[in-house]
Amino acid sequence: MQCDDLGPEMLEYLAGTLPDDRLAEIRAHLAQCQACRDDVDATAELWNELGAAPAPRPESSRMRARFDAALQGYIDGQAESRVVSFAAARRPALRWQPWLQFAGAAALVVIGVGLGRFVTVGPPAQSNSEIALLREELRDTRQMVTLSLLQQQSASERLKGVNTSSQLEQPSTEVVAALLDTLKRDPNVNVRLASVDALRRFSGRDAVRKGVVEALPQQESPLVQIAMVDFILEAAGPDAKGVLQRLAEDMMLNQAVRARAERGLKQVGL
Amino acid sequence: MRAVREGDLTRMGVLFERHHRPLFDFLYRMTGDRGAAEDLVQDVFVRMLRYRATYRDDGRFETWMFRIARNVRADHYRKHGAAVYVPDDDMDWASSEPGPGHLLERARDMARLNRALQSLREDRRELIVMVRYQGMSHEQVGAVLGVDAGTVKVRFHRALKELRDAFSRVPEGE
Repeated sequence: MQCDDLGPEMLEYLAGTLPDDRLAEIRAHLAQCQACRDDVDATAELWNELGAAPAPRPESSRMRARFDAALQGYIDGQAESRVVSFAAARRPALRWQPWLQFAGAAALVVIGVGLGRFVTVGPPAQSNSEIALLREELRDTRQMVTLSLLQQQSASERLKGVNTSSQLEQPSTEVVAALLDTLKRDPNVNVRLASVDALRRFSGRDAVRKGVVEALPQQESPLVQIAMVDFILEAAGPDAKGVLQRLAEDMMLNQAVRARAERGLKQVGL
Repeated sequence: MRAVREGDLTRMGVLFERHHRPLFDFLYRMTGDRGAAEDLVQDVFVRMLRYRATYRDDGRFETWMFRIARNVRADHYRKHGAAVYVPDDDMDWASSEPGPGHLLERARDMARLNRALQSLREDRRELIVMVRYQGMSHEQVGAVLGVDAGTVKVRFHRALKELRDAFSRVPEGE
């Protein structure tokens, strides 16, 4: 095996998804090639740094309102164009162009938002409680959607479930437990990685920190293990040194994971 | 999508609810502009409506959707020029909030990494965004780009290598 052969397979090697015979070839090569070992370490670190980037949050309700207005405009326009097509043979009609429909729809949304703001100046107590109730219902629905997506067979659906959890401001313990369970048991590396990122928001909870530490030895993918080491370091700071020390000395772990734990120890001052 | 293609346009709302977040994520990371990304998401769904008859059952819906998203983004660049990245508040990773030293250092590293990512060529950045942030396999990316999975693997490795080089060139103080 040549050094150049490793590059395109490096992520699969780190994800632990290569067939055993290929894995053995790569390990044998790495054992004798320091440059490739450094390359693997740097790639693993870069991959996890990329994953730590916060996900941009869309203004979903505003976007949905805009889209609903545009969709309604499109549907109305279609119905109208069917009527117009009968009359077109007799007289040239002013037809609603699609851009005009969407501009009209957007104007309606702007007017709606403006009216909403105007109406909510000094709202009565009853409408406040109704809004609170609606918010609660919305939150419950999002939680249900998250839990349901996490149970899907398709990895991309489960990934959506993990990402949807980031929309929840105060997720229930059930959602957090489901994320931890995903981290421990999901067969897909990307889904497990996403769950580590999602759990970062709840790193202040003891049960979450403990759950991640317990799940680490069960992981087969060095990529996920490195992301978990980063999580532990961020969540516990200097208190993480005991765990990091154990990981750095665990010869059963992948070399890139041990190297990350060693760097973590340096970061916390050991 | 099949129902939409057959004429039940009200089902577009369900598709929007399911897919607008990953689409926004993709378009935001590609344009670096929240407002533009929101507009482009709308454009993608409007094009889905218009071109619903071109949807085929033999492929994944996401493949079709991301092909449309790439076209929408390309049209946007043709009209407005390539993206000039200016981080929004919620993407400002190098915030000067007080905190433990290693967290601050990590936030600065992430800000540098983001600058490096934004400095890559469009096609390289797109590969990294699709694989790393959309969780797409090499086969799925290949289906969107119209190339085989082996080609995606090689290109992706090259993109990652360029990112590492770009990252090492971004000054520490940035």
